[in-house]
Amino acid sequence: MPDNTLSDSAPTTAPAGPATPEPRRQVRAITVWTSVGPFAVFAVLFALVAILRPNFVGGGGLPILATQATAILLVGLGQAMVLHVGSIDLSNAAIALFGAILLAKSIGTMGVGGIVLVIVVCSAIGALNGILIAFFQVPSFALTLGTLGLLQAASLIISNATTVYATNAGLVTSLFTQGIANLAMAFWIAVLVAIVLWAMLRFTVLGQSMTAVGLNETGALFSGIRTRLIKIVAFTLSGLLSSLAGIMIIAQAGSASSTGLGSDLLLPGITAAIVGGTAITGGITNPINVIFGALTVTLIPIGAAALGVPSEAQSLVYGLVIIIAVALTISRRNVGVVK
Amino acid sequence: MTKAIQEERPVPAGVPALKLTNITKVFGPVTAVDKVSLEIPQNQVVGLIGENGAGKSTLLKILTGLHEPDSGVMEVAGKPVRFRRPQDAAAAGFGVVHQEQSLLTNLSVAENIAMNALTSKDNATKGGWYRWGQLNREAEQILARVGAKIDPRAIVGDISFVDRQMVEIARALRVDELTHTSPIVILDEPTSVLERNETAILEREIALLKNIGSVIFVSHRLDEVMRICDRIVVMRSGSVVADRPTSSVTEEDLFQLMVGHASQATKSEAADRDKGSEPLLAVSGLTRKGEYKNVDLTVRPGHCVAIVGTLGSGRESLVRALFGAEPFDSGNLTYRGKQLRSWSAAEATRSGMAYVPAERKVEGMVGGLSAAENLVLARTGRSGWFVGKGKQKKLAQEWFERLDTRPKNPSLHLSRFSGGNQQKVVMAKWLQSETLQLLILDHPLRGLDPGAAETVNAQIRAARDGGTAVILLADTLEEALDMGDDVLVMRDGEVTARFDLTVDSPTSLDLLEKMV
Repeated sequence: MPDNTLSDSAPTTAPAGPATPEPRRQVRAITVWTSVGPFAVFAVLFALVAILRPNFVGGGGLPILATQATAILLVGLGQAMVLHVGSIDLSNAAIALFGAILLAKSIGTMGVGGIVLVIVVCSAIGALNGILIAFFQVPSFALTLGTLGLLQAASLIISNATTVYATNAGLVTSLFTQGIANLAMAFWIAVLVAIVLWAMLRFTVLGQSMTAVGLNETGALFSGIRTRLIKIVAFTLSGLLSSLAGIMIIAQAGSASSTGLGSDLLLPGITAAIVGGTAITGGITNPINVIFGALTVTLIPIGAAALGVPSEAQSLVYGLVIIIAVALTISRRNVGVVK
Repeated sequence: MTKAIQEERPVPAGVPALKLTNITKVFGPVTAVDKVSLEIPQNQVVGLIGENGAGKSTLLKILTGLHEPDSGVMEVAGKPVRFRRPQDAAAAGFGVVHQEQSLLTNLSVAENIAMNALTSKDNATKGGWYRWGQLNREAEQILARVGAKIDPRAIVGDISFVDRQMVEIARALRVDELTHTSPIVILDEPTSVLERNETAILEREIALLKNIGSVIFVSHRLDEVMRICDRIVVMRSGSVVADRPTSSVTEEDLFQLMVGHASQATKSEAADRDKGSEPLLAVSGLTRKGEYKNVDLTVRPGHCVAIVGTLGSGRESLVRALFGAEPFDSGNLTYRGKQLRSWSAAEATRSGMAYVPAERKVEGMVGGLSAAENLVLARTGRSGWFVGKGKQKKLAQEWFERLDTRPKNPSLHLSRFSGGNQQKVVMAKWLQSETLQLLILDHPLRGLDPGAAETVNAQIRAARDGGTAVILLADTLEEALDMGDDVLVMRDGEVTARFDLTVDSPTSLDLLEKMV
């Protein structure tokens, strides 16, 4: 009985505790699926590829998958944080690429300082997004669409519209040359980030406030939560995670250009968050599941190629699988209206 | 255009327009409507009065097809009917004007009038196409029937409240246009949002409605009921306790019938509480354009200031400004001895203010979080970065026990609780704070069943007696008189009267006089 909360003077009755076992059992099934759905979808897809092409697992398919998924996962986690407070960040992939180009230019002369610079600049861009959205009441969709354009222009300018090769990139390339359990260190770092974010959402006042803002901003405001600050924090996190994605791009490729590796992270990032069960309406996010979202998003093209799907048909497969995956994993737990 | 003032009617005279026999509706352990039998004669205005929770609303919902009765017979013009959906009620000639205005303010008057459960059968919008000429012409005719001079092309948001109410009535009347029976128009507190002169206009129009159908008029204003209605039906605890011609009752009789026995609630003497204490909150000359002006107000710890007024009195906006949730234009706000310059809900919460908004589901709580999480949601100045899940659970269980909140499962989403239990959690969210000093309550008992209302009321009383200052916007005048130490009456944004209840003892009528 989701709507037994009549608002006027009819003496409505409290749903007595033991009298409602039926709906509660349903909720439990949904809750279970919400927590394992994204993993199950990935596992089924992976098993499918593994059965049809046994070499895929033996021939280094998993390490490739993890490597390819790293940047998508980081951008997707940032997106999930922003979606969690009920907004969207269309600029975060552009921030990542801008960060990568900035790092390629600065790492040669500044070394570790260049890495710090990129993290600070990208976080500041994210924070600025948040500030403009919170204080000027601009819809995040429109504002970050604007920032996306600005950042693409900035990337073209600082890269002179060519590929910038990072000297001294050895500082970061070990992230992909070394690994644990055959998977790149960079991937494990991204997984660690996901776990930290999960704990943040679950066990900290900040995380609970973000959830409250995403579920009901007015209700959160009237509980004394600084809703603007919370939004700024979410966008700052998105910028910060984008900077990490940018660093991973340099670590993986050693160079960056506005059309090269990482120039198409935006939609995979959003898809990873949503296939990971994040509700686009806000308030329902499990960063751990975003890991499986990112892996699923990465697996589809790789798997399709491994299965010999002709290249013309790969977009078709990608589209279909994404639709099915989202339909299976998106949380309907407490969203009456799905936008 | 006034062609249809006289209506040809297939129903023989003397048969009641509506007859209810032993209608009963039960919700769980509560019998909301208990064996109600009554008759609404043709071409009469029948008043329906009763306290909150007396079963009026449930009865109206049965008449309009929102609830099906558990037992009993309903006859319209002599024929038994069963309403399964609101459309069935509309088809039988029931038109409703709801308590809250339900017009779409961004559309034109004519569109709103056409926006009816039966639009698909209507020529002006047949096949999904708007025939604007016809739509406006029909609206004009129907408005003329209720005697209103409103341009059907006007946008509803631009016209006055009384005109909107007329549009609502015109819309309710359209059922007649479509079904060709004489309509039964239900007016659920149509005057509660209106000013006094506007009320007079509406009263005149309602009297005219008698010529074309029957009217069921629900109101809390007894004088109004006495003026307008031919018969008056009084409900109490789900039953009809009186059904009398207006000429044979007085206002006092009605009051007695409604309330039952004159219940004298326990009113703990304000003198028992700390009398000489400094004001916690002092407001002077507070003004916001279009909402309220020059409001002075002081609240002392352990005291309750009740503010009464109709919709549009500005009291809601005023208390929101006190909480920092809305800006004000000029005036001084002094809290805990300090004059405030910048003020926000976040700062207010951190310095011991609490606000329970009237719009519980939208503003008072976060439905998607569990009850336990809602309990610790308010940032009342407790430090710490981490949420202690164990502590949170213990706290929730403690408060669930104390307020008898059901179901006894704090980890359930708050949206799944009933209104009364939600309100208990919202109250507990603030009451559990150790720093609580001022409780601002906007209709804290709205929509609560009597049991829940009593629990919440007891908590408010306990908080007040424990030294918390309370500002109360009450649902009813009785509630204000019962709880308040001071009562402020507001009208059109101005304070029109103040009563110190330790000295004065005004009646509800005294307050009403200053309100409208």
